[in-house]
Parts: sequence; C-alpha cells; structure tokens
Amino acid sequence: MKRLTRFVRPSFGLLGRIVAILLLTTALEFGVSTLLYERASQFSVRDDEARRLAEHLVIARRLVAESPPDRREAMAEELTTDRYELRWSPELPPPPPISPLLDGMLQQVLEWEPTLRTSDLRLRLSSPGRSSVVSGGLRLPDGSWLYFRTLESLRTINLAWERVLLALIPAIGLIVIGGLLVRQTLLPMRHLARAADRVGRSGPEGAPIAVSEAGPGEVRRVVAAFNSMQARIHRLIEDRTRALAAVGHDLRTPLARLRLRAERVSDDELRETLDSDLAEMEAMIASLLAFLGGEGEPEQPVLIDLAVLTATVADDASDLGHDVTYEGPDHFDCRLRPSGMKRALVNLVENAVHHADTVRIRLKVLDDAVVLSVEDDGPGIPEEDLPLVLEPFVRLDTARKRDTIGFGLGLSIVVRAVEAEGGEFRLSNRPTGGLCAEIRLPLPCTA
Amino acid sequence: MTAPSIVVVEDDAALRTLTARALQENGYLVRTASAADEMWEALDALPADLVLLDIMLPGPSGIELCRQLRERSNVAIIFISAKGSEADRVAGLELGADDYLPKPFSTRELLARVRAVLRRGGREVSTGTREEGIRRFDGWTIDLRRRETRSPSGAVVDLTGAEFDLLAVLLDHSQRVIARERLIELSRTRLGDSSDRSIDVLVSRLRRKLSGAGGTAPIITVRGVGYMLNVPVERA
Repeated sequence: MKRLTRFVRPSFGLLGRIVAILLLTTALEFGVSTLLYERASQFSVRDDEARRLAEHLVIARRLVAESPPDRREAMAEELTTDRYELRWSPELPPPPPISPLLDGMLQQVLEWEPTLRTSDLRLRLSSPGRSSVVSGGLRLPDGSWLYFRTLESLRTINLAWERVLLALIPAIGLIVIGGLLVRQTLLPMRHLARAADRVGRSGPEGAPIAVSEAGPGEVRRVVAAFNSMQARIHRLIEDRTRALAAVGHDLRTPLARLRLRAERVSDDELRETLDSDLAEMEAMIASLLAFLGGEGEPEQPVLIDLAVLTATVADDASDLGHDVTYEGPDHFDCRLRPSGMKRALVNLVENAVHHADTVRIRLKVLDDAVVLSVEDDGPGIPEEDLPLVLEPFVRLDTARKRDTIGFGLGLSIVVRAVEAEGGEFRLSNRPTGGLCAEIRLPLPCTA
Repeated sequence: MTAPSIVVVEDDAALRTLTARALQENGYLVRTASAADEMWEALDALPADLVLLDIMLPGPSGIELCRQLRERSNVAIIFISAKGSEADRVAGLELGADDYLPKPFSTRELLARVRAVLRRGGREVSTGTREEGIRRFDGWTIDLRRRETRSPSGAVVDLTGAEFDLLAVLLDHSQRVIARERLIELSRTRLGDSSDRSIDVLVSRLRRKLSGAGGTAPIITVRGVGYMLNVPVERA
C-alpha cells in the first residue's frame, strides 16, 4: 500500500519529547543556579564589617590556639559575643546545604588581616530562616578548626528577598518555557480536535479537510487514522445521499407516466383521489431531495426582493384557497439564496394551513436584522415538543392522524435554509393561541 | 394552416407513448424518438416546429443534443427533466432551449408550455432571427424563457405563475388595451377556476410587486374594457 511505503519523517514519541523538555529545563535550572552562586561569591560586605570580623578572628585564633586543647572549647564559648558565635572542633563541620562561598568577602578580610592567609579561612553565606548570616572556619596551627558564624545578620548581607526572587525567576521562566514546549508538542492534537468537530456538519464547513500529519509519532498515527476515518465517513454519506437522490429522480419518470395515465380515468372521484395521491408522492420526493440537497449544485446567493418573495408565497397559498395574508413593506432587497428561502417559507406556510384556518406572514425590517414570521391561529405545539419538531423525520401527528404530506422533513429543511443564511429559526406558541414560526436573518444579508 | 409538428425524444417507452398521445389528442403532429440517432432521422425526414427533449438519455445527453440542434436550426426546444434543480434549468436555457418542464408533468402543464413556446417560436421562424425573450420597460427586465423578473435595482422579483403569465401577456400587447375577457381566458389555463375577480386580484398584486420607488406600476385600468401596460417595451 502506498500509505505504508511512504516516507515518514522520524519523530520522537510523546515520551521522548517530554523527557527532552525535562532535560532542557533541568539544564537551564543548573545553568541559572550556577550563575546565582557565582554572583554570591562576588558578593562583598562593607569594609568595617569585614575589618571587625577580621580583627575578631585574629584575636580568637590566637587565644584559642594558645589555650590547652581541653580548655579550647570553653575558651571559644567565652569568646562568643552577641555578634559572633565561636566554636572549636577538631575537624571542620560540613557546610550547610545551600551556602555559596563568599570569595569577595574573603578577599576583604584577608586584605585587612594578611596573617589569616595561612589559616585556610573559608567563608560561606548561609541562611537558616530568612536572615542571611556568614559562617565559616579557619584552621589552627595544630590542625584543629575554629568554627564561627555571625549571629546578627549583616546589614549589607540583606540577600534573603533578592535570593528568593532570583531563585523564583528561573523557576517561573522554566514553567513558561516548559508550558510553551508542551503546548507546541500537542498543537496537532488541537488541529485534530477542530477537524473532528467539523465532521458531519451540514453546509460547506462540513466538507472533509485532511489534517496535516505533524507532531509526535503517536499523534501522527492518530491524525492519519482520523483522516482516513473522515474520508470513509464522508464517502459513506455521499454514497447514501447519491443513492437516495437517484431513487428520487428515477421515481419521477414512473410518476410522470402515472400522472398522464390518471388523467384518462373517467371516474371523476377516482381521478381526483389519484391526483391527490400523486401530488403527495411528488411532494415527498421534492422534500426528500431538498433535504438531501440532491438537486444539484449548492445554490448561490443573489440579490432578490425578499418582500415580494414573501408576498408571492402568501399569494400562491391563497390561490390554492387558503386564508394566507402578507403584512410588510412592498419591497425589500436582500442578498440570499432565493430557492432555499422560498422553500423554507413555503414549508412553514404549508404547515400552518394544515393546522390552522388563518395564516399571517409578516416581514419586519429592524436595525440589524430582518424578521419573517409565520403566525397561525391553530392549536400550536405542546411546549415540550417544540425542540423535537425541528429534528428530521419527526412527525408529531403520527399517532393521531396521518394526513400530513411529506416525511416530516419540512422544518429540518427550514432550519438548514436559515442556517445557510447565518440566521436563526425559532418556534413558539403565541400568547393568543396558535404557532409563531420566526426566521431572523442578520443584516446586511450578504451571506 | 397545418398542425404544428413536434418530435418527442424520451428513452422511457411508456412515457414517450403517453406524452405523444396527449399531444396528438390536442391537435399536434407527433413523431417519437428514443435517443439521438432516431431524433436526427426524424428531423431529417421532415422539419419540426418543436423538439421535446428529455435530459437523461442513453448516449449523448439532452444537453449535448440541445447544443448540436442549436448549431443547425432554430427549432423550438423544451427540456424535460427529472431533476427540478435551478442549475439544470439555467444550463438548458443557456444552451438555447426555450423552456423547461420538470417531471412529473400533467397534460395541462405540457400543453401550456408547448403553446407558449410555439406562439413565440412562430414569430421567430417567420422573421428568421431568434430573439432572446427579454423585455424591458422603466428599468425592469423580464426574461420570458427563464420566467425571471428583475427590478431596476437588479433584484430578482418573484411572481406567482399566474402573475408572470399575465405580465407576459401585457408585455406582448404593450400600449394596447387588452379586454378583461381575453385575460380571464388566458389565465384560466394557469389558475384552476378563475373568476372575474381573480383577474382584478392578479392585476392589483402585479401593480404592488412592480411598484417603483416613487411611482406605481404602469398598468392602467380602462374602465369597462380591460387593462393596458402604458409604457413602451423594448424587446431583445
């Protein structure tokens, strides 16, 4: 099969893509954090802060180093002020987890007290809680360690908020980037959803449009499957429609024979009943073909006089002996599909004269719409059945009496014709009794 | 005057016979053909005034035959088709057919179309030129073959069959008074039971539908006699 041999551009799976996204975000996070730590190491304190720390360390170092080892711990405690805490330990305690080295500050201290250079001094920024403190250690001549940390957060080391923000910015950035990437990955799925939503719609928007096969492998397979399914459904509908339309057309030849033969029946009563049977069959075929749209090319909008068209529908009905009147302006030019709109109006009028004695068609021109309403004085429709009657092949009087001509397609045809013009169709029971069918077409009607 | 001669081209044998019989009984000379070759034979044997042409034929379609017919003669053509679509109708008329009759039709409809086309065709044969069947007055355009009326604004104005027929008669006799009795007689073929009143109703409807922006339609009542279209009509 052609489909199988066709070259398919290799594509990562969804999993691969998401892993790639994670990798990328992690790498970014790493890079940004490194940058942040690098910045902290450049961080420096005010000179007096560095000098005070340096002096304190020099004194403490000498005093602790000169004390005997068993006194050193106590000595460190004595040297603890309300500013610096000092502790002696034989080994350097491990640095707290998030504690960038403060290289800049270290340089300041060493510059002030060069004797500390031999003591392997290290400084870190650590922030237990919200205030940043400087901690660190230095080695005594005998290899043991003096550990210290500032108790008050250094005024200039007011890093807490800045650091939180700095840490948040890459996080937010990563969320946005990750989101965009995932969205891009799933874009074909959205195209697919839109196409799926269109399948089976009436009118030109229902025509099948193949979705381009793009995106991850899984999505591509779904898109390909959807495209062929869509084509199959469309072909199926088309075949059925064409078959039904062909039946409708072909029935017209025997009907024509029957009509010419029926005219030769000498029994008047029989001839009349034959005539009305034939008329019913013709009406059924006409409505079926109109419903299927099987009468050829879709109609194009033209400029018509909608007021005269409506009046003519009323006149045709009144020529057949019904009480149908038109109320509205003498002329109203409008661009729409005349056959579709006329059929819609004829269907509404036929329904109305079937159930009522007096029918009034009104045309009202509003600022933004033209409203056509067909009002009758019949029994109306039970409220709960109102939405039902718009469905194809629904006939409310099936059980009671079966004298309606057609298949129950009349109102479905109206709905389609009105939709084709971008209008709205509404059925309601009039407060004074009877049914009101309303077609509202947007203005200017240039559909 | 000899009876008009009609060739019926229809592939359905029974319908062909029934159509031919209906026409014969109304005084026409009828020959029949089931497809293209038989039609050409019939036309070669004897000239005809009118060809009744089914669109869906085995072999060359009615549309194709219509085109070929038009290349060699001005014989009147009426299409018969099972498709009631506007597109088919327009296609047929554009190829030079004179009218279009959708299936299923009654004898009355068939005769009305045949008479109307022969009435127009008779003049055309005598003058030797085919006219398009277009009439113009006061900015209005009426296409007799398409049965289409356009207002001065270019909008299609939809008329009932009877109204259009009445308008066609008025156009044919423009600036001459037509007796009411004559109009009633003409409209009877369209309206089931036309009373005296119905002509007046038709006229008043036509006046309303053909009214212009400021004025009324130029159809005047000649008291006690009949009606008249009181403007010059341009023919094309």
